[in-house]
Amino acid sequence: MKKILITGIAGGQGRLLAKRLAERYEVCGVDRMSWEGAPRNIRVHSLDLRKKRFRNIIRTEAPDAVVHLAFVRHFRVPSAVRHEVNVNGTQRLLEACAECEIDRVVVLSSSYVYGALAENPRYMHEDHPLNVSRTFPEMRDLAEVEGLVSSFVWQYPKIATSILRPVNTLGYYVHSAIGTYLKLDILPTVAGYDPMMQFLHEEDLSEAIVLALEKRLNGVFNVAGPAAVPLKTAIRAIGRTAIPVPEPLIGAIIRQLFRMNVYGFPAHALDFIKYPCTVSGEKFVSATGYKPLFSLEDIFASVAR
Amino acid sequence: MDVTDPFGLCSSDLAKELGERIDRIPADLNSYGYDPWGYNPEVLKRFLLPAAYLYRYWFRCKVRGIENVPAGRAMVIGNHAGQIALDGLMVSAALVLEGEPPRLVRGMGEYWLGTLPFLSILLDRTGSSVGTPQTCADMLRHGECVMAFPEGIRGMNKLYADAYQLQEFGLGFMRLALETDTPIIPVAVVGSEEQAPSIANLEGLGRMLGMPAFPITLTWPWLGPLGMIPLPVRYHIEFGAPMRFQGDADDEDEVIEEKVEEVKATIQGMLRRGLAERRSIFL
Repeated sequence: MKKILITGIAGGQGRLLAKRLAERYEVCGVDRMSWEGAPRNIRVHSLDLRKKRFRNIIRTEAPDAVVHLAFVRHFRVPSAVRHEVNVNGTQRLLEACAECEIDRVVVLSSSYVYGALAENPRYMHEDHPLNVSRTFPEMRDLAEVEGLVSSFVWQYPKIATSILRPVNTLGYYVHSAIGTYLKLDILPTVAGYDPMMQFLHEEDLSEAIVLALEKRLNGVFNVAGPAAVPLKTAIRAIGRTAIPVPEPLIGAIIRQLFRMNVYGFPAHALDFIKYPCTVSGEKFVSATGYKPLFSLEDIFASVAR
Repeated sequence: MDVTDPFGLCSSDLAKELGERIDRIPADLNSYGYDPWGYNPEVLKRFLLPAAYLYRYWFRCKVRGIENVPAGRAMVIGNHAGQIALDGLMVSAALVLEGEPPRLVRGMGEYWLGTLPFLSILLDRTGSSVGTPQTCADMLRHGECVMAFPEGIRGMNKLYADAYQLQEFGLGFMRLALETDTPIIPVAVVGSEEQAPSIANLEGLGRMLGMPAFPITLTWPWLGPLGMIPLPVRYHIEFGAPMRFQGDADDEDEVIEEKVEEVKATIQGMLRRGLAERRSIFL
């Protein structure tokens, strides 16, 4: 493996990963946004994945591996756009990878695809059904993406394709839904609920992606962090105060803010701070020997004010 | 005087004893004091204390055969009765207060418990969990002591006319025991049936309120919340010898049923003996 192409390279995780990989490999990337001040040895193409020209870039760059990070993970765009970028974008990318006989592909999914449900097993394994759309229809595109990638795995056994499902990722560079929530000035929680949550540092996620590439992984892998703690313990560790709000009230408030475009989450996102969505990372650990470097204390310190 | 504890209940000898025993329970805690399933010993100390009082002074539990509970993984399987799951709580209290070494019991709760505010937190913090097969298997492989009542609601909310007659057992526990090679400890609780004798069950009303049952007892709902207080019966808890089973966890239901019947018959026998030996419901 000599050359790696990253989609969504200008995002927080993309930049971190690109810099980490550039120490050992030739790195290029594609993103709709530009990356001001990108290191000189990293070539960035400003381009939308959905454009025809994307295929040409893959063909001319001819990378050995592709890391797919270009997903819309927020709800500030119309759901049609989200669907088009996430599902159709992935479809395009996979077609291009098949055509250009890329050797390895890593797709960054999320542990959210399992959905947060009261009856979830405390540690879900990779074969657990992807239930997110049962209570959170806006996120069904992530489950669809996984479906596309899974059938790609069967169709092209020569291409090592892996799907990573990391837990809540925090850090200085990444923008994650949970990160946005934990940085709020007023941190409302749902009164009477305090689910166990797992956290992962952005640098450890980068390392996990590198391992998936280098070990030429094939299949689906959860990526867990060092340990799980209750949400309120995490909030306290970050140095903030949780304000428990009765569910009907917090639901109504969030619905209203979402409608007014002030706060970018639909009300069923609340399930993720109400019910557990914890996963077992054993499979990834035994396949790669991965061990997170950042402890929970480090992770919380990285987002503390 | 401490306003949060006006009667000194939290600094009593029983509280100290409970605290010391909980400290002796081996636990896999992270740097924030939680185990992988959300158990926190400090929370358990606070919330098991009322149960310990009930155990010592209200139900005056008599325990037999607790040495049958081994140190490693084990599955405690018992009869379920009494409208509210106090039998589970008393078995837990027995294993903490009398177990040598003290054991933390992992209750496998009904799915709907996980949806209830506050109770869902309490379930996790006290070491129990929503009873999914995956969680149960993980806990057993971790060497935990899991408790389950295979009769479920069928047992807990049966009418007094059916007292001490075991209802249909679920098969899930046996499949898990086979899969994880776990010994089953049968436990018989005598006394729970008389704590709140049920004369009717308004299932329709229960469904409307989102509850699995709505029992009518001698005191509930006539006396309001007071009607939920159980009668001060005496509990007799007997732990039987470990039962070990071998076979394929994915076998046909009929094959699993045979093994389950063996456990059920053992518990029924222990109940019959316990009832024959009992002189009085209250003394």
